[in-house]
Amino acid sequence: MAEESVLTDEFVRQLIYVGEADILIGVPTYNNAETVGQVVQTIRAGLLKYFPRERAVIVNADGGSRDQTPDLVRGASISDAQRSADFQALRTLHCISAEYPGEPSTGTALRTILASAELLRASACAVVSPESTSIEPEWIERLLRPVFQGNFDFITPLYRRHKFDGLLMRNLVYPMTRAFYGKRVKEPYAAEFSFSGALGNHFLAQEIWTHEAGRTGTEISLTISAITGGFRLAQSFLGVKPHVDARSADLIAAMRQTVGALFWSLEPNFSLWSSNHDSQSIPTLNAGEEVTLEPLRINRKRLLGIFHSGVAELEPVLKQILSPPTLSELQRIAALAEDDFSYADDLWARTVYEFAASYHKSVISRDHIIQALAPLYRGRAFTFLVENREASADELQQNVENFCLTCERLKPSLVELWNGRK
Amino acid sequence: MREMIVNELTQATQELIREFARFLPRLMVMLIVVLVGWLIAYLVKWILRSILRLIKFDKLSEGAGAAQLLNKAALPSSTELVSRFAFWVAWLGFVLLGTSALGILGMQEYVTRFFIFLPRLIVALFFLFFGLLAASFFSRAALLWAVNTDMPSPRLLSSAARVLITVFTASAVFEELGLADSTMLLAFAIVMGAVMLGLAIAFGIGGQHLARRFLESRFAPEKKEVKDGEDELSPL
Amino acid sequence: MSGGAYARKTASIILCEIDLTKTGNGEKSALPLPQDALWYKDAVIYQVHVRTFFDTNADGIGDFRGLAQKLDYLQELGINALWLMPFFPSPLRDDGYDIADYTSVHPNYGNLDDFKVFLQAAHERGIRVIVEMVLNHTSDQHPWFQESRSSRDNPRRDWYVWSDSDTKYHGVRIIFVDTELSNWAWDPVSKSYYWHRFFSHQPDLNYDNPAVREEMWKVMQFWLDLGVDGFRLDAVPYLVEREGTSCENLPETHAVLTELRAKLDKFYPGKMLLAEANQWPADLRAYFGDGDEFHMAFHFPLMPRMFMGLKLEDRKPITEILKQTPQIPPLCQWCLFLRNHDELTLEMVTDMERDYMYDQYARDRHMRINVGIRRRLAPLLDNDRRRIELMNGLLMSLPGTPIIYYGDEIGMGDNIFLGDRNGVRTPMQWEGGWNGGFSTADPESLYSPLMLNPVYGYQAVNVQAQKRFDHSLLSWMKRIIKVRKSTPVFGQGSIEFLYPANHRILAYVRQSEKETILAVNNLSNSAQAVELDLRRFKGNILIEMFGRNIFPRIGDLPYLLTMGAYQFYWFRLRRI
Repeated sequence: MAEESVLTDEFVRQLIYVGEADILIGVPTYNNAETVGQVVQTIRAGLLKYFPRERAVIVNADGGSRDQTPDLVRGASISDAQRSADFQALRTLHCISAEYPGEPSTGTALRTILASAELLRASACAVVSPESTSIEPEWIERLLRPVFQGNFDFITPLYRRHKFDGLLMRNLVYPMTRAFYGKRVKEPYAAEFSFSGALGNHFLAQEIWTHEAGRTGTEISLTISAITGGFRLAQSFLGVKPHVDARSADLIAAMRQTVGALFWSLEPNFSLWSSNHDSQSIPTLNAGEEVTLEPLRINRKRLLGIFHSGVAELEPVLKQILSPPTLSELQRIAALAEDDFSYADDLWARTVYEFAASYHKSVISRDHIIQALAPLYRGRAFTFLVENREASADELQQNVENFCLTCERLKPSLVELWNGRK
Repeated sequence: MREMIVNELTQATQELIREFARFLPRLMVMLIVVLVGWLIAYLVKWILRSILRLIKFDKLSEGAGAAQLLNKAALPSSTELVSRFAFWVAWLGFVLLGTSALGILGMQEYVTRFFIFLPRLIVALFFLFFGLLAASFFSRAALLWAVNTDMPSPRLLSSAARVLITVFTASAVFEELGLADSTMLLAFAIVMGAVMLGLAIAFGIGGQHLARRFLESRFAPEKKEVKDGEDELSPL
Repeated sequence: MSGGAYARKTASIILCEIDLTKTGNGEKSALPLPQDALWYKDAVIYQVHVRTFFDTNADGIGDFRGLAQKLDYLQELGINALWLMPFFPSPLRDDGYDIADYTSVHPNYGNLDDFKVFLQAAHERGIRVIVEMVLNHTSDQHPWFQESRSSRDNPRRDWYVWSDSDTKYHGVRIIFVDTELSNWAWDPVSKSYYWHRFFSHQPDLNYDNPAVREEMWKVMQFWLDLGVDGFRLDAVPYLVEREGTSCENLPETHAVLTELRAKLDKFYPGKMLLAEANQWPADLRAYFGDGDEFHMAFHFPLMPRMFMGLKLEDRKPITEILKQTPQIPPLCQWCLFLRNHDELTLEMVTDMERDYMYDQYARDRHMRINVGIRRRLAPLLDNDRRRIELMNGLLMSLPGTPIIYYGDEIGMGDNIFLGDRNGVRTPMQWEGGWNGGFSTADPESLYSPLMLNPVYGYQAVNVQAQKRFDHSLLSWMKRIIKVRKSTPVFGQGSIEFLYPANHRILAYVRQSEKETILAVNNLSNSAQAVELDLRRFKGNILIEMFGRNIFPRIGDLPYLLTMGAYQFYWFRLRRI
């Protein structure tokens, strides 16, 4: 554990009374009273159904909610001290809540959860988002069973989601994580995931906690450190992903948390990602239908509009980040009519790689680099939406796969950019 | 007559030689001071550079966008820049000190004034450095924000931010240096006023839509606009 | 479970009104014991089968003379009541619960005179004797049944439940599902069906017949007149049958019991009735009536939950079943036990709990029988002294009268490869020599093989060896019984659970008007810290009851205790 403790004395006291646990489920919250009650009750139902004998605990790391969030979590406890006895449950279920010090942040919340898991010596831990209202008791089993049985150290989720949902994930985060680190983890930045006690301790010992980028995009940093640490990974199909995800409503924030953390991770792991050249799939458990196709109205024009204004207005900034050929190619496609517009796979991959290299060299403020990528991403998203308008689920998957292969193919160019002067 | 001339010449020569002999030690002292000063200044530069490297000053200024500014001006890294600046200031101080040792009339006063002025100069340069950094940083931040939020005229906004901060910096620098106080204040006020007016007009025209949207959402929440399609999609 | 003080008061009123030395028949009883109508509340009962204890005539079967010889041992142990399992003449097809003669002793165990001698000796040592009484049915070898079946006109015909069809009382559950197909059995002699809730060789008596009720009372009178102190009544929920009901727990059955109790109180005050009814506490409650049926009843659902709580390291199962346990009349008492001659029954648990218990305590299928686990205490607890002590600590401190099953006080093992539940009924192990000191007969002729394995065998586990050491389980059992008997609070006080945040700690306060005792038990296999809210006892100091050491005074802050693995404390609260 780090020098400064993330656990308050009061929380440590609660942990003492929880004692050793087999299973720990962490719920990071901040003003989630609307949804957290339902989520925690479902977690509890899942625990009772699938892990009735194991010593389980639900740990809520709260960022100082002003609503009833912590009370709602605590209310899911099963204890003989309550007036109504619960005979369905074999044993006591502790639901404890800790308000961690400092600003609300997922990173600190996760750190609190990891520290609790270490103290309680939990052998299998899961993190569940308080906003995952589509959660079912089965999720608990699907996340935890593979870890609890000792077969895997890290389980990332697979969701059923609309084909145009998770555009950033499909167009950047997944392909790039895969290209860099060689594992096909489809949801490297997930709201739900699980990990073994050993991996939890490994996470805690990482440097991510002391860096801003590590703290904002902790989820993806955890995925990356699970891959780089050589842990056994799998992805488990859970079910429908809840549609509204407040974390990612703001594109810039979402990019900071994912792309920022991803770029940041490249530095310490250079020797690793610069030497591997292809990717391996990881086991998929409880496979299910991942893509839904129902028609959806999308305002594509706005995406293209921001792309256009981005290329035009940000020219001085992009000049510092991109190589001249890439920039002029961008300017060329920006001049195309809407119907002819296409932000092709390899140009997009090259763009991202050049951004990564500029991020590494800190040509300008790193946060500005991430922000400057956003309008370009919107152009790419436009192309993706147009090209896959009529695509079936399989075709969509194939298109994503093709882009991933392009990224893997072009990766050597980043290695060149990395150390050379532009 | 001839003897007199010779005498005079001899005397003058002797005088000159005497004068020179009297001046020579001072010159020696000056040269020594300048030389030692150079050594000390070099030492200062070396120590400062080590310290700045140790505290990763480059990274610090990079974060503020200084690297890019320096690149633009074809200047070396900020650590190098600061340590070189320190070297020149220190050496210049010694050179002046040495010159005063020559005993040239009036020189003393200039030297004194230089040393009184020195701290202000350093502070002013400090202001200038970080002021320009801030101007560059915030103008870029404004540009990115405007582009990403689909604001009209991002460049105008960005430039406005840059001008504002630069003018403010300049006024602070001149203020610190104590130069043309009133002129600067006036100039600053004029530029500031112009910028504000420009912004007011720009926002007035560009923000019409925004203001209406705000008012509508405030007073007629049921009349919601059709939601922006992109927002329904989670990027993650 | 509370109101001990009130109970005492009521009881003493009853005692004032009657002549204590006389029985109903005016015959002098062999009862030199001090009179105490509430003796069953303060008792520590020892359960034994005569057959298993000590053999004096070298026939390989324990007998009453043997039992009498070993009374000193029991007195030294500290118990003050003996519960004898059926010792009546019987074909022994159901371990003696198929009685062929209610007023005699099975020749294997001696004769009635031997019994009288034994009873006298027990009373001289302050030990009361409770005998088994099977009211519901007799053996089919009993003369009553032989008469009843001989012809349809026989005067005893109506003593049993006969029917021409096997469809009467349709839908009543069959208890021994493994062996019986119906509750009706065909009698080829009288060509009709007779009713039996248990084995088909155990016909049910007809309690609608006043003659039967009168006869059974006479049987009880017979033993009461000899000086017996109480009865354990077997299979009480099934006495009366009615069409369209489950034929269990019927009001008519309760009426029979109330009548019996009234007679007992009238003619034999101070005697006790103990109900055997494997039911949920709420259903059992009816058998206490308004204090006018049974004095005591077994708390069946608690026992598996004590084992469960220990394995789960969680007090929840224990506190919740006790929360569910209804209040009983002040003169009534629960009987608590850890193990007995039967399997550790899992009828009174949920399916999930049963699976858990099987997986944790009976992984080997040989350990299971019917709906339960046929093992003794020590092997169930992995022969772990700390857990054995903790469980006995709970047994002795929870509200009720504890029953110790013979052999468990020295940690005897079981032989799961003997049939039925005989694995927990092996001979008592007295010493390391011939037959473990149980009998001088040839080992082959013993009623049951002795335990021979190196861990639990008689050479390793026996009374003689354990008597020699202060730290032996036997010595420890003597100590805890002594501490338990040092205060009536355990038998009669109220209970109130504390619910510390640490769920591995089971803590409760036993309280009477005069005394307060705090029991704190660590159910877990690791050291624990616990904070107890004892503010209402502020100012008291704690005195640990085993070592009599003083613990810090209770203040305003939560009382912090640290406890070793499976450790328990009993504290007496004293305001000094």
